Amino acid sequence: MITESTPVLETERLGKRYGHTAALTDCTLRVPAGRIVGLVGPNGAGKSTLLGLTCGVLGPTTGSIEVLGNRPGGDAAQLARVGFVAQDAPVYRGLSVADHLRLGARLNPRWDRSLAERRVGSLGLDPAQKAGRLSGGQRAQLALTIAAAKRAELLILDEPVAALDPLARRAFLRDLLAFVAELGVSVVLSSHLLGDLEQVCDHLIVLAGGRVQLAGDVDDLLAVHHRVSGALPAGAERVHEEVVRCAAAPPGARPVDLEELGLAYMTRAAVASIGGAA
Amino acid sequence: MIWLTWRQFRTQARVAAAALAAIAVYLVYLGSRIRDDYKGVLGCRPSDCGTTRHNFDESYTGPLMIAGLLLLAAPALIGMFWGAPLITREVEERTDRLVWNQSLTRTRWLVTKLVVLALVSAAVTGLFSLLLTWNATRYDQFIGNRFGALNFASRNVVPLGYAVFAFVLGTVIGLVVRRTLVAMALTLAVFAVVQLLVPTLVREHLMTPVTATVAFDEVTPSRSDLLAVNDRGATIIGYTMAGTWSLTDEAKVLNADGTPYTSQQATACDKSSPTGGVACMARQNLHFSYTYQPADRYWPFQWIELCMYLAVTLLLAAFGLWWIRRRSG
Repeated sequence: MITESTPVLETERLGKRYGHTAALTDCTLRVPAGRIVGLVGPNGAGKSTLLGLTCGVLGPTTGSIEVLGNRPGGDAAQLARVGFVAQDAPVYRGLSVADHLRLGARLNPRWDRSLAERRVGSLGLDPAQKAGRLSGGQRAQLALTIAAAKRAELLILDEPVAALDPLARRAFLRDLLAFVAELGVSVVLSSHLLGDLEQVCDHLIVLAGGRVQLAGDVDDLLAVHHRVSGALPAGAERVHEEVVRCAAAPPGARPVDLEELGLAYMTRAAVASIGGAA
Repeated sequence: MIWLTWRQFRTQARVAAAALAAIAVYLVYLGSRIRDDYKGVLGCRPSDCGTTRHNFDESYTGPLMIAGLLLLAAPALIGMFWGAPLITREVEERTDRLVWNQSLTRTRWLVTKLVVLALVSAAVTGLFSLLLTWNATRYDQFIGNRFGALNFASRNVVPLGYAVFAFVLGTVIGLVVRRTLVAMALTLAVFAVVQLLVPTLVREHLMTPVTATVAFDEVTPSRSDLLAVNDRGATIIGYTMAGTWSLTDEAKVLNADGTPYTSQQATACDKSSPTGGVACMARQNLHFSYTYQPADRYWPFQWIELCMYLAVTLLLAAFGLWWIRRRSG
């Protein structure tokens, strides 16, 4: 049973290598329950690897990972507790929307049929339509519906809006927020654009070069980061250009928004990697 | 899960059913013609029995050989089109990410797929084999070559073993190589090599052959391909005792005391006509050695080979399950 104290995700020096390439290095995280977690990083930062490890599609090379207090993907019970929508929302092209709902119902003991049917109805999806003929947005919605009606405790969405146009993006995220509140699940969603996640997430993880650059609840992060022009105040650490980290706001500091903050850490990591390579 | 397995397999099942129906119609038609003609062979007048028998052989050897080859090809097709894409298609369409994140383990997903579809493979091939076996009964009795490589492999129970093996082989190759075309090509190649090696190198050793001393009599040459008499003595080539599986390509004809029958003896015996020569040889108490598998071992051979294929199939499936679990860990 999940309690307030059981973290949704807890990793300890987690690492994953593909041959000689390290996709994820020394990743130590603790994400409390009930958060909407934004996982942000440039392409190739290791976001999909981290999400794959979280749902158990991948196994770690080093370190440990616990999801809802258990080994990810270990058994049917654990699989039932985590819903996963992979990048580009893969669905069976030859099966109809109704077939997908039947698939969900047959393969998930906690399947919420009325939720699934309500969502398909409100999204205006034709149950007889073949999934291969759906638009990108509709496909993402169908995949999300299957993951949601599974009644998991944690929903993982890998780049859910990457293939959508800006209008569909906004609709998708607004809809996501509404029913996440209704279901009371924790959510992890990744994107290479912070702008997408800014309005929805209350916990942020910035990943770059396979390493965690920044992680924490959004409010806490915003409280300790500031925009300062000119000299670095005492006790502060410069992240990148004007963005600095220090516990109390120095005089004359302006607040920083989430997008700037993420960008500052990603830029710092990119600069460091170029510096390291040179 | 059984529902999903069936739902994803529906199109292939329809294709298989249609193909099987077409083959069934043809085989029933051919089978009834064989039965009619066989009555003619049995009730032939002595004067034209030779022609009737020859015609019977001529008319049905071709069609039955083609049907037999089709039945041999069926498992290869099952392995390539049902087995190989089973996992590669999921990987290529990325739907493995969808289905392996529902509330069931990959192990259970694979077990269900393997069991259901292996049963379908066995059923399809079994039905085909049943039809062909029934169809060819009279012809097989007439020719009496049940151990022939093609005949043995395309009758009774062994085709079921081939089908199940080919299906699981294709699936496991697909699981390892993860690309449809490569998996299909590899499945065909491996299955073809196995189907060549088993009849040529393995099958005859499944039971210890019997070696007997056979007396040379007047019908011996008619059961052989050739009786050669030269400086090195007399040799029988390709002798087959009725209904048995001959493992003797050629055998020296020996005298009663075990010494080789020489060409001098043959010349002395020969009264210038070949039949006279044979009749003369038959009177001289000659013998030769014959190694073979007896006719009553036909069914043991069928069952042993079936079990052998099923055992290898189980090993392959166990490997596949280990592999799919290992990939997640």
